[in-house]
Amino acid sequence: MTLDHDPQEPMDDVDEQLLADLARLYAAVDPVPEGLALRSLFTATLAGLESEVLELVDAPAALATVRGEAPVEARTITFTSESATIMITLSPDDGGVRVDGWVAPAGELQVELRSPGEVRRTTTDHDGRFVLTRTGRGPASLVVRRPDGTAVSSPVIEI
Amino acid sequence: MTERADDRPSAPPAGESLGDRAALALLEYREGRSQRLADLVHEATPLLWHTARSQGVPRDLADDVVQSTWAALVRHVDTIDEPKAVLSWLLVTTRRASWDVVRRYRAQTRLTTELPDDATDTSRAIVSPHPGPEELALRTDRDRALWAAVGELSERCRILLRLVAQADRPDYRAISEAVGMPVGSIGATRGRCLAKLRTVLERETPGEVGS
Repeated sequence: MTLDHDPQEPMDDVDEQLLADLARLYAAVDPVPEGLALRSLFTATLAGLESEVLELVDAPAALATVRGEAPVEARTITFTSESATIMITLSPDDGGVRVDGWVAPAGELQVELRSPGEVRRTTTDHDGRFVLTRTGRGPASLVVRRPDGTAVSSPVIEI
Repeated sequence: MTERADDRPSAPPAGESLGDRAALALLEYREGRSQRLADLVHEATPLLWHTARSQGVPRDLADDVVQSTWAALVRHVDTIDEPKAVLSWLLVTTRRASWDVVRRYRAQTRLTTELPDDATDTSRAIVSPHPGPEELALRTDRDRALWAAVGELSERCRILLRLVAQADRPDYRAISEAVGMPVGSIGATRGRCLAKLRTVLERETPGEVGS
């Protein structure tokens, strides 16, 4: 077809308005999923930690999703590598989840429970124990930082 | 993107375009300041989403593609030579990951294609058709007319306009290159895709497009 408008002309206000309208229509037709930027930030942050990623030990159920109002059963998950072991027990806690954890070897360790849009922090006691109460459900990764600056992290699990 | 004590609260956008802000975010991230990169993730995620979706990636898989593109940027933060090219890098990475996903998805679902010869892009047409206006509950006559006019464009023009609509004018060149359109498809001039869209729209709805 012949064009009534010259492709070589500068863009004008009508062109700008058309693009703005297109952005609006595509946002309505195919909206960006809720929370995608936060999930992306979460994934990118974990990728940038340069931490040693622990392996999940013998707990296939840990990767199963726990969503909505499904009751959270108490369960224990162990992560390990050559340099560290983390064991956590998850239990229902007032609509959220209580995380009782233990890190070996023990030391003055900083613990982070990372989830999209939130980081919960605590420290271990001398025996390597820590507790996080009423955490939200959903995907999360546990990061343990040592005084020497090194860190280990768990794979992403559903809490 | 570790949080650090010296991270400032969300900074206002710096630079004139998304491409400028992406370059600055990369430079600051390399120096240990991650706030601008976090801002960039929020700002550019819609563009990456529409990039993946325009390649025919199903919604749930497009979610993964966008997340892994951002993770890949952080992993490759030291290997991107030219900070100005970060936006292009993001777009090309998203597009390649999208192709991989679509190929696997098609193999998995064993889609067979039997479309007319003039459909040049059958695989994508099946996964991602241009929905008709009746399916969209578009509210106004103008929106319906615009959507119908978009449907008259070639697939490549649709993709280009969909993506540049998410960005700033200085970014159009990077976007058109990243989606494989020749320079001059849009940018300083309106380019052929916008010219065609206006032409179709005015013929369908005389006197309503503007000016």
